Amino acid sequence: MWEKFLKSRKQIIFTGVFIGVFAALLQRWGNPPNMGICVACMLRDISGALGLHRVGVVQYLRPEIIGFVLGSLISALAYKEFKPRGGSAPIIRFILGFWAMVGALVFLGCPWRTLLRLAGGDANAFFGLAGLVVGIWIGVFFLKAGYNLGRYQRSSSFIGWIMPVIMVGILLLLIFKPHLPSGVVFFSIQGPGSQHAPIFLALLIAMVIGFLAQRTRFCTVAAVRDIIIIKDTYLFTGVMSLLLAALISNLILGQFNFGFQDQPIAHNNQLWNFGGMVLAGLAFTLAGGCPGRQLFLSGEGDADATIFVIGMIIGAGFAHNFDLTSSPNGPGRWGPAAVIIGLIICMIIGFSMSDQFRKKREA
Amino acid sequence: MNKSEEYRVVLFYSTSAAIKAESLAKKENLVVKLIPVPRNLSSDCGICLLFRSQDKLVIEDLLNRGKIEYENIYPI
Repeated sequence: MWEKFLKSRKQIIFTGVFIGVFAALLQRWGNPPNMGICVACMLRDISGALGLHRVGVVQYLRPEIIGFVLGSLISALAYKEFKPRGGSAPIIRFILGFWAMVGALVFLGCPWRTLLRLAGGDANAFFGLAGLVVGIWIGVFFLKAGYNLGRYQRSSSFIGWIMPVIMVGILLLLIFKPHLPSGVVFFSIQGPGSQHAPIFLALLIAMVIGFLAQRTRFCTVAAVRDIIIIKDTYLFTGVMSLLLAALISNLILGQFNFGFQDQPIAHNNQLWNFGGMVLAGLAFTLAGGCPGRQLFLSGEGDADATIFVIGMIIGAGFAHNFDLTSSPNGPGRWGPAAVIIGLIICMIIGFSMSDQFRKKREA
Repeated sequence: MNKSEEYRVVLFYSTSAAIKAESLAKKENLVVKLIPVPRNLSSDCGICLLFRSQDKLVIEDLLNRGKIEYENIYPI
């Protein structure tokens, strides 16, 4: 029985293990602690490098993000799945990306980093994980009530190439490091932004991850969603593989340190670790996937996912400029209020885009 | 679900459309099941509705009457 189970799931398990092992190794090779890969943190660093926020310690053009998109693009082109499309409520997707980022930066991590923090022994991440599950569960409530953002339209191939071209542009900025009078491109000289693995090594690993994830549909949020709605564990197997592979790798590399106190790039205000991820989980579910998945979709031509990612980058800029983000000392001054506002906005989106509630209004 | 029977799946544009289609089909006592979209059919990470091939016309009629837009129906 086990043999059959493993055979039917070997690709998703391999993808999870690959991400887990190489996230731990990327950390060994220079990325910040428990942050071998974090889609939210890395988009935030890109936002900073481009000058959308001016927090000096979190500014870097992360090649991992570039690699995710380009790896997915290569896979989609190779397997004839590059499908330029868009037009499914783009402005709503922008808003969801914005608030997903705010929630993630109050917790300090995306769903992937939640798993990687757990695998590094950071017990605070349990509260983030619980928040994530609750957020997804609220999102499923809306899905069952008929929530949808309308169908996408097939579009000209130009639409599908926008994100890959943006990523190539960012890669060129990373390689040539131009310094303009305004100060951009900013690269941190201390703090997490200054910690990074060698550029081309990180890019290559991320491209393989992008390729594998496009093939397997790896998604942390859909993993939980599928368990709640259809009791299917295919994607969840991949998520558990990531967690276990990262845990074992961290134990071998001596990167495991269990506890609540003094965890790297984390705080122990559990209420807002939880609350931040409720917001992120809800926003991801309403948008149809975790931030990693949104990057992979944008690589295969999905302009709606591209808008979501741009919403996250802009959200990161706002979150830092308006003191919404947490630091190791705890939530930012306006972080908790922002989470509540974000939840209200996501709920309004959930209700207003659901058939059940639309019909009631029209009746 | 019986292994000797032939099945098809309907792919939708949204998760909620799949859930709605399932509830409509169940009201009509059709044998259906929500499953993840088979990897060979689409790169979507969504869910789709599995049904018996013999019910194809009934399912199509149900979707049209319920005004549920769907992408396509595939044999599996």
